[in-house]
Amino acid sequence: MIANKKKKVELISSLSRFGALFILVVIGSMISDVFLSGRNISNVITNASVMIILGVGQTIAIITNGPDLSAGSIMTICAVIAAILVKTFGMFFLWAFGLAIILGIALGLLNGFMISKVGIPSFISTYGLQWAVFGFAYLILRGYVLYDFTASFRFLGNGYLFGFIQMPIAVMIIVVISGIAVMKWTTLGRRFYSVGANSESARLSGVDTDKTVIYAFMISGGLAALAGIVLVARINAVQADIGRSYLLPVIATVFMGGTSPTGGQGSIIGTVIGALIIAIVQNGMNLLAVPSEWREAIIGALIIITVLIDILVRKRFTHLQKA
Amino acid sequence: MNKIIKRIKNIPPVLIVIFILVIVFSQFSRNYLTIRNLLIILQQSSVLLVISIAATFVIISGGLDLSLGAIMTISGVTTALAVNAGLPIILVIAIGGLTGFACGAVNGTLIAIAGMRPFIATLGLQGILYGFSLALTNKVGIHVSNEKFIFLGDLVNRVVPMAAISCAIIFLFALYVQNHTTLGRYAYAIGGNEEGARLSGVNTTFWKWLVYAFAGLLCGLGGVILVARLEVADPIVGIQWEFEAIAATILGGSSLRIGKGDIRGTIIGVLLIAILRSGLNVVRVPSIWQPATIGTIIILSIVFQVIITKKELGKK
Repeated sequence: MIANKKKKVELISSLSRFGALFILVVIGSMISDVFLSGRNISNVITNASVMIILGVGQTIAIITNGPDLSAGSIMTICAVIAAILVKTFGMFFLWAFGLAIILGIALGLLNGFMISKVGIPSFISTYGLQWAVFGFAYLILRGYVLYDFTASFRFLGNGYLFGFIQMPIAVMIIVVISGIAVMKWTTLGRRFYSVGANSESARLSGVDTDKTVIYAFMISGGLAALAGIVLVARINAVQADIGRSYLLPVIATVFMGGTSPTGGQGSIIGTVIGALIIAIVQNGMNLLAVPSEWREAIIGALIIITVLIDILVRKRFTHLQKA
Repeated sequence: MNKIIKRIKNIPPVLIVIFILVIVFSQFSRNYLTIRNLLIILQQSSVLLVISIAATFVIISGGLDLSLGAIMTISGVTTALAVNAGLPIILVIAIGGLTGFACGAVNGTLIAIAGMRPFIATLGLQGILYGFSLALTNKVGIHVSNEKFIFLGDLVNRVVPMAAISCAIIFLFALYVQNHTTLGRYAYAIGGNEEGARLSGVNTTFWKWLVYAFAGLLCGLGGVILVARLEVADPIVGIQWEFEAIAATILGGSSLRIGKGDIRGTIIGVLLIAILRSGLNVVRVPSIWQPATIGTIIILSIVFQVIITKKELGKK
């Protein structure tokens, strides 16, 4: 009975998310004629792709333990490393991508270690790591901007798969499908949920909670690296702070997708919808020429409002349950 | 003999690290251990101390505030606007402090009353506040030149470190609040066991709200002094400050998990960061190396401090 009711609420809340997406699309098409053009739509989805790749990792981290606030910095440094390996050292681009992703996974491992073994809460250890990693990215680039990469490097951002699917979208689809597969059908996915819901009871039922947390942050780090590479391949330039503007939108994406900040609840599909919403909002701000200083403020306000609504809805639900 | 060893063992490890650092740095430059350099270090670190005691207060109550740097920034901006509007100094200080208090109150409302997680509410507010301060300043710093105001943060005649003195006054005020007021006692109680505090009749919602608002007030005053010292209100000056403030709190021996901590310990944490900063210049570490070096050292020291605190708690 209760499970049934819970399912109903989940259904309603995911429907409301689709509703919000739909309303935004309608508003967008009213604001500007360009909005519903094929070019703009593919632009929005491509922009959302980078956020979705980041968001899948972030969702897994938040479901398992807590936010990975270092994702923006990991994506930056991995993009910087990949760019330098290709541009300065002339390395074959696939090796460079591989090394960058390994670096991302390693940084995720470091996060996971600080959180589970040392016991520093995730929002502090990852927030702290962020500043060190941004420092290194700045140090490696020495304040310069690297740009103009080879065509093979840029294929990941600008190319078309089978001639019509943009590469970022293709990468995003692969990430989303594997993410859903891991979360739904593997033991690891179930462990992510159980550790997030109640770490102690998961431990007592034989789950190696430390390892599970470390895996979650390794995935988040690896996906952040991938997102960074895709972004740089797309905009064809890299500088030491490209990831900074991604932190707030990605957090917003995940919470808009209905993932609970307390952990143990959430879905990757929700994050995809959340990312589309944020991408449309950002696109709308572009079309309306909202001054740059207000954009972060608007995203920040969106985060707070979404989480507030989520809390109110949940309170309502628990009241109904008691009655 | 045993007593002496016990005493030595009781010295916080951070203090030993500071001692070693000072000795090492003083080998690199004859100017390091001079009164003039120490005064400069004091001036530079004093505002960080104010922000750090705000962070400590929040952490004592079991919370977290990632918007402290942003609150300091926007308070600095409103302060500069007030100074340039020609308002009397007392009013200027009040405006800076009230801006901070209002921002903190927003945090408190979102966290204590609406029940949001601290990191979400304060991260969101961080974005909003930087947006406002960029818009208010038109993205460039606002200069202030009112001499009466600048006096608040000046190194008068190169000997009287006014910023340090102003911050010391704020520190004493905060120390009084921590040790002798209901707010201080309840902050500890809520951090130690919120449910227990609530059941024993503490209005936890209100006092938690007040903790965030008080932290905002401190940051607002910190912003006033920072503008007075730098003579400019920069719209993004506070980026990364909350991290250093939280780091200083942890290095000062406060615990993130239980209501333990003391703003007096935080002084040591701030000192460590300040000495590192100035030391890296003395050792001639190139400026592009500094963000990475400082970030790494701070993270490493947090890791060690948390391990040490854990061990101490385990012994008890």
